[in-house]
Amino acid sequence: MFRKNTEKPRTPGPGGAGTVSAAGIAGVFRDCYDFELRKLRLGGEGLEVALAFVDGLVSGGDISEQVIRPLTEARRFPAGTTAQGAMESMLSGSVYAYTAKKRQNLEEAVDDILNGYCAVIFDGEGVAVTFEVKTDQRRSVEAPKEEKVVKGSKDAFVETMKTNTSLVRRKLHNPHLKIRDFSVGEKSKTALTLIYIEGFTNPEMVEEAAKRISAIECEGALNSGIIESGLVDNPRSPFPQVLHTERVDKFCLNLLEGRFGVLVDGIPFGFLAPGTFSQFLKVPEDHTQHFLVASALTLLRYFSVALTLLAPAFYVAVAMYHQEMIPTRLMLSMIEAKQQVPFPTAMEALMMLLAFELLQEAGIRLPSPIGETVSIIGALIVGQSAVEASVVSPVVVVVIALAGIAGYTMPNQDLGAALRICRFILVLMAIALGMFGISLGCALLVYHLAGLESYGVPYMTPFAGSEGREFSRALLRRSFQVKRDREPALRTGPGGEAKL
Amino acid sequence: MKRAAAIMLALSLALGLNGCGSGLTIFSNYRRLENIELVRTVTADAEGGDITATVYSDAGKESDPRMYQRTASSIGVALGELQLMALGRVALLSHTENMLIGEELAAESLGECLDYVERYSEMRLDTGLMIVREGTARELVSGLSGPDAPSSDVIKGFADNISRAGQGYVFSCREIIASLCENGYALAMCVAGEKAEDKLFESRGELDIRPRGLAVLTAEGISGFLDDEETTGALLVLSKYRSKDMDIPVGDTVVTLDLDGFETQVRPVFDREGALRGMKIKLHVSANIINLSGTAEVSRRDYRERAQDELSRELREAIEAAVGRSQEMGIDFLDLRGFAARAEPIKLQDMPGSFEEALPDLEVEVTAESSIRRTYDIMDPPQTAKDKEVKNPWENLIESLRDS
Repeated sequence: MFRKNTEKPRTPGPGGAGTVSAAGIAGVFRDCYDFELRKLRLGGEGLEVALAFVDGLVSGGDISEQVIRPLTEARRFPAGTTAQGAMESMLSGSVYAYTAKKRQNLEEAVDDILNGYCAVIFDGEGVAVTFEVKTDQRRSVEAPKEEKVVKGSKDAFVETMKTNTSLVRRKLHNPHLKIRDFSVGEKSKTALTLIYIEGFTNPEMVEEAAKRISAIECEGALNSGIIESGLVDNPRSPFPQVLHTERVDKFCLNLLEGRFGVLVDGIPFGFLAPGTFSQFLKVPEDHTQHFLVASALTLLRYFSVALTLLAPAFYVAVAMYHQEMIPTRLMLSMIEAKQQVPFPTAMEALMMLLAFELLQEAGIRLPSPIGETVSIIGALIVGQSAVEASVVSPVVVVVIALAGIAGYTMPNQDLGAALRICRFILVLMAIALGMFGISLGCALLVYHLAGLESYGVPYMTPFAGSEGREFSRALLRRSFQVKRDREPALRTGPGGEAKL
Repeated sequence: MKRAAAIMLALSLALGLNGCGSGLTIFSNYRRLENIELVRTVTADAEGGDITATVYSDAGKESDPRMYQRTASSIGVALGELQLMALGRVALLSHTENMLIGEELAAESLGECLDYVERYSEMRLDTGLMIVREGTARELVSGLSGPDAPSSDVIKGFADNISRAGQGYVFSCREIIASLCENGYALAMCVAGEKAEDKLFESRGELDIRPRGLAVLTAEGISGFLDDEETTGALLVLSKYRSKDMDIPVGDTVVTLDLDGFETQVRPVFDREGALRGMKIKLHVSANIINLSGTAEVSRRDYRERAQDELSRELREAIEAAVGRSQEMGIDFLDLRGFAARAEPIKLQDMPGSFEEALPDLEVEVTAESSIRRTYDIMDPPQTAKDKEVKNPWENLIESLRDS
């Protein structure tokens, strides 16, 4: 996908590095149809300057009203005003823009222009003054689409960084909420912020995160995968190690629990780390429902993990090798159903798993109404026809569908995908070695999961690396009347008790 | 990572080359589901020094139940050779629900059959074991089979319901083997075939399966049989009934009682020298009136007491009969020693002589109490424990202190 750039950064155009000039900036932006360079005379008849900006990134009205009009007024810039004097006047408020920066370096000036600034270039001085006149064309804050809750807030992250940080600030009115900014991507220069609550989040964790963010090497940080792989400890593991959410309240709750968050400009959700297995099985409703209901549903999700992972493998093992485990009546119906099916059990299970994945993939890729139709046709017609045509036995269809439905209960799609891969592997091991294969597969899976760590926190916390009494934290949701201490594995700072 | 993947790949290839493979798998236990012939009933009979094993299999609704038979020197060989007759299918013994053994074979070599169940990994220890009297097991099972009533279903229905009906109890191979190993004796259900004259359904077989008491088994074979009364007594002491219906004559009427609660207490009686002098068996039964022949006011206290006394007497006599038979045979099939060991383990250990030696001369005192809880008479609402407590709390307290 993206390969590490080993070439030296090229010099930015004919203007030469370091010197700000209209020609230099025009050279950098050559063949860019949206780039505008306009000559102006200060005060109407005075010193000639150049105004540079990228159309679309800036607001035309704001440039006209806040920059061009003041610059061309003779009373602000009378005849004989020197370049030095004009610059000082601009920086001290003659121009109405709320941000003004003096740039003597061409790269800085180009960065500003690309970030929605317009630059007033003094060619003779090699200096530019940049003003922020960003356009307001951005998506407004909307209700979450993926993580809907009935009794929760209706604001979700958008693609604009400043909007996202302000949403977090509005939820956490705390001066200890720190937002450190970074730039990721050699070419894209994507803005990224590291958010944490000073005194809550372990400072070593924050420093480690800052180090990893700085070490992300890519040309363009335009998707979550690059950021995620840069943040996690084990990028090769299929299991997600960074939690992502579009919900601002969930993001803030995790900050309060002692995690840190990462927001990326252009990506409408926030990342949270360290991610643990139990965290991926929690949903926003857990905090809005009664604690008994939330606990029961959490337990149900753990059961679903076992079901989606083991049901097909268990069926294959039992049907191929351990028939003595099947109750007599069920065994009789299974034998009867299997009489007309020409394929062995292993083939049937693999075929159905593959068909299920194909249907799922087709449903996702197609536009929404067609996708749903394909899923329904696939599930109802193809499944039923396959059974009626004796291509597969009904028990296989039931088992695979059950495993698939259980997989859909996963709150995190990345976790669901990882479990699907493991499900295939376990089925193959069950085909080869029956129950022994499943045992071996489960042992390897537990070994892998128990070996994962996220910023020094064991991935299987609290099931591994903690005392047994911590289990309830993952499996149940305690009442809000009970004052909860934060997860010990996160090693939060002093005063580590919070009523959440 | 690459090295690990390479090792895994090499190992998986090596597994396929080890010569144990069968199709997709290296696991020798592989059976294709559609080729399985599910054996549900096994019978074994003596045949001129050899053993004839017959299996009754099932392969779903579409196929008729099949019967395979083989005679060999042992049951293991006979059942093994049956695989050759299964027409390319695999006769799977793991779902055998019941095993029926002819009386002649049981008397000669029951131990061999039990040994096979115990050792052969495919057989289940919870398979029910019955001894067939008055004929061979094969004849009985074949006679039970009708067009729409596979013999396996009939036998399973009998085994499941016999203890609920209070006419016997089908001991599993596990119970029999464990009892033989621990105590040297065991009980087994006996059955026989009867001509089905009152056939309710045309699809049933020619024979009906009927209980015929219990057989007392020892390592040598069958030591004797218990009749119906002795069977009732034995099963009451061993708490093997779930319910039992009994007709009790009360004056000019006959009342049918459904016995639904059994509590047996067995305690040893030691003398001052530590010798075991006797045993006290106390039975408490609760019952409900479910039927009445004749006319009587069942809600009247005196009627109820007479019915209770009559029931207690019958049950006491049944237990006494079982105890008497046990003492006569010199075999502790009521597990009185076990009761004594649980109540007084140290005294039992220190007693002079063995329990088996003391058994024939033991004074066994049997008491039976019964209470009719419900008459289902509109004038006689059920007496609850709460009512009892309110009416006479001191009596309840004194009774509980006395019991403790």
